[in-house]
Amino acid sequence: MNEVPLGFLELRGVTKQFGEFTALDDVNLSISEGEFFTLVGPSGSGKTTLIRILVGMDSPTSGDIALRGDVINDVPANRRPTCMVFQNLALFPHKTVGQNVEFAMKIAGVAASTRRERALELLELLRLPADFYSKRINQCSGGERQRIALARALAFDPEILFFDEPLSALDFRLRKTLEKELKDIHRETGKTFVYITHSLEEAMVMSDRIGILNHGKLIQIGSPDDIYNRPLNKFVAQFMGEVNTLAVDKAGTGKVKDSTTGSMYEITESGQEFESGFMIIRPEVMKIGNAADALPNRIQGVLFNDYALGSRIQYQVRSADGENHWLVERLQDDPFSGNAGEPVTIGWRAEDSILVPS
Amino acid sequence: MKSLLQRKVVRALIVVWTLTVLLFLYMPMMAVVMASFTKQRYFRFPVNAWDTRWYEKAFESLSVRDLFWTSFSVALLVTILSVVLAFFGALAFARYDWKGRKMYQRIILLPIFFPQAVLGLALLLWFSSLGITTSWHTAVFAHMIWILPIVTLIMSIQVYSFDPVWEEAAYDLGASRLQVLREITLPILSPGIISGAVFAFLLSWGNFPLSLFTTGADQTIPEWLYSKMVSGYTPMVPTLGSLTMGGAAGFLLIAFLIVLAVRRLRAGKPD
Repeated sequence: MNEVPLGFLELRGVTKQFGEFTALDDVNLSISEGEFFTLVGPSGSGKTTLIRILVGMDSPTSGDIALRGDVINDVPANRRPTCMVFQNLALFPHKTVGQNVEFAMKIAGVAASTRRERALELLELLRLPADFYSKRINQCSGGERQRIALARALAFDPEILFFDEPLSALDFRLRKTLEKELKDIHRETGKTFVYITHSLEEAMVMSDRIGILNHGKLIQIGSPDDIYNRPLNKFVAQFMGEVNTLAVDKAGTGKVKDSTTGSMYEITESGQEFESGFMIIRPEVMKIGNAADALPNRIQGVLFNDYALGSRIQYQVRSADGENHWLVERLQDDPFSGNAGEPVTIGWRAEDSILVPS
Repeated sequence: MKSLLQRKVVRALIVVWTLTVLLFLYMPMMAVVMASFTKQRYFRFPVNAWDTRWYEKAFESLSVRDLFWTSFSVALLVTILSVVLAFFGALAFARYDWKGRKMYQRIILLPIFFPQAVLGLALLLWFSSLGITTSWHTAVFAHMIWILPIVTLIMSIQVYSFDPVWEEAAYDLGASRLQVLREITLPILSPGIISGAVFAFLLSWGNFPLSLFTTGADQTIPEWLYSKMVSGYTPMVPTLGSLTMGGAAGFLLIAFLIVLAVRRLRAGKPD
C-alpha cells in the first residue's frame, strides 16, 4: 500500500533472554515509514516483550534497534519519539479527559491555550464531542476510553505509535467498529502504526503487513494476502482459523500422496521445493455435492453435521475410510440440501491446495 | 411483609440504640468540657457555677504555651518524618516484589502489638545506656517506632490500588522520573498520604505512655494532664484537656477541608 523507502524502524538480530528462557530469538524486521504493521502471535510468543523493547521500557539482551538509521537501544522511553497505547489504556484516573490528552504537551511545555486547541482538534478527529474535554475518565465508556487513549498518544506527535492489544477487552461489535476506525485514523494521520495482537483476523482488517511471531521467532512477514494464501508453515496456516490439514508426500509432478491412506491428490506446482509436509485446504474453497463432481480432488464421505457461522454455514464431513473429518463452508444464502448421515462427495481444485513443509 | 407498626418500632429502636452508643462515647468527654467551665476549685458534677477564667489562665500561662509547643513540635516532626519514610516503605512493600518482602511486612508491624509502656521503658533503658539525654527529640524517635508502621499500613492500602502502568504511560509520553512523581504518583496517592499524615499527627498528639518515658525534662500536654491528675488537681486539667480535644478536632477539620479543596480544584479547571 505504501511506497516508501524501507528501513525506517529496523530490528537486527534482536534477542531477549530472561535467565534460561529465550523470549525473543534473533528477530530481524524492517518497518517502513507510514506503514501499519501488525505483529501477531499467541500468548507467550514474545510479542509483549518485543513491543516493550521497541518502546524503550526494556532492552534487548543482544541485537540492535535503529530508527532512521540511528541505533536507539539505550535511549530510554521518555526520550524516544515513539509512544504506546497500553493494553489497559493506562488513562490517568485523577485527570480529566482534556488533561489526559494534553499530558504530553504539558510535559513538553506547550502553552495552555495551544494545548487546549490541539486537544479539542484530536477529540474531533476521534469523533468525541467537545464536552468530553472536561469529563472525568470514570464517566467514559470502554469505546470512549479507547479513543481518549489514542488521542493522548497522538497529542505526543510520535514518529511511531505502538499498540499493545488495546482492543482485546472490548466486546465483538465495538472491536470491529474500532478496528476500522483505527485504520481510518492511520490513513488520516499518515503515522507509522505498529500493532500487536493475538488475533490474526484483527490484523487482517487493519494492516499493510503482518508479522507472525511464535516462541520468540518471527516466522513469516507479509501482506495479509501473503499470510492468508501463502502461509510458510502449518502454524501460520492454522493460526487464521479452522482449516483442513493432511499430511502428504510428493509423488511426481503435480501430485501428492496422503501419508497414511496413500490416496493421490492433484496440486499446482509453485516452483517451490517440496518433499513432504502438509496440504492445507481452507473450508471456504471446498465444494460439496454436485459442485464437487467435476473436480480433480474428490473424497467420498458422510455428512456428519452442519453449523451456522453467521454469514456462512459449515458442514462437517467424515471421510468414507473414517480417517479424517473435513470442513466445507458455503455462504449462508446458498446452503447445501443434504441431511446428516447421507453420503456426499466433497472436492477442491488443484490450485486450492496449499503445501507447507512439516 | 412487615406491618407499619412493626417498621416504626424497629426504626425507633435503631434511633434509641444509636443515641445510647453516642451518649456512652461522648458523655465522658462532655463531662470534661463541662468541668472546665466550672467556678469551683474541685471537680463536681453537675456543675452549678459557671466560669471561663480557667481558659483565660490557660491562654495567659507561659508553661501551658511551653506544653503546647512541645506537643506540637513532636507531633509535627513525627508527621513529616513518618509520612516521608512510610511513603517509600509503602511503595517498597505494596508494589515491588523482593526477597524478604513478607518478612519486612511483619517485622515493621510488630511494634504496634507491644504494650507502649514496655516499649517506652525499653527505649529509655537503651537511650541511657547509649548516653543519650532524653528530651522531646528522643520522644519523636520513640513515637515514630510506634506510629511509622501504622502510617505505612494506611498508605500501602492506597499503593495496592495504584497501577504502575500509569507511571509507565507518563514516562512513555516524555515525562522525567521527577515529573512522573509530581504529576502521577503523588497526586494519585495523595488521599493515602493525607490520611497517613492525619493519623500520624493525632496519634502523636495524644500519646502518653511513650512520651512519659522518653521526653526527659520536657513535658507534653498528656504528660502534664496525668501528673496534675495524680497530684495538684486544678480545673486547668479539664481546661487543657478540652483544648487538646478541640485542637485535634480542629486539625481533623482542616485536613478534611484540604481534601475537599484539592478534590474541587481537580474536578474544576484543567491544569
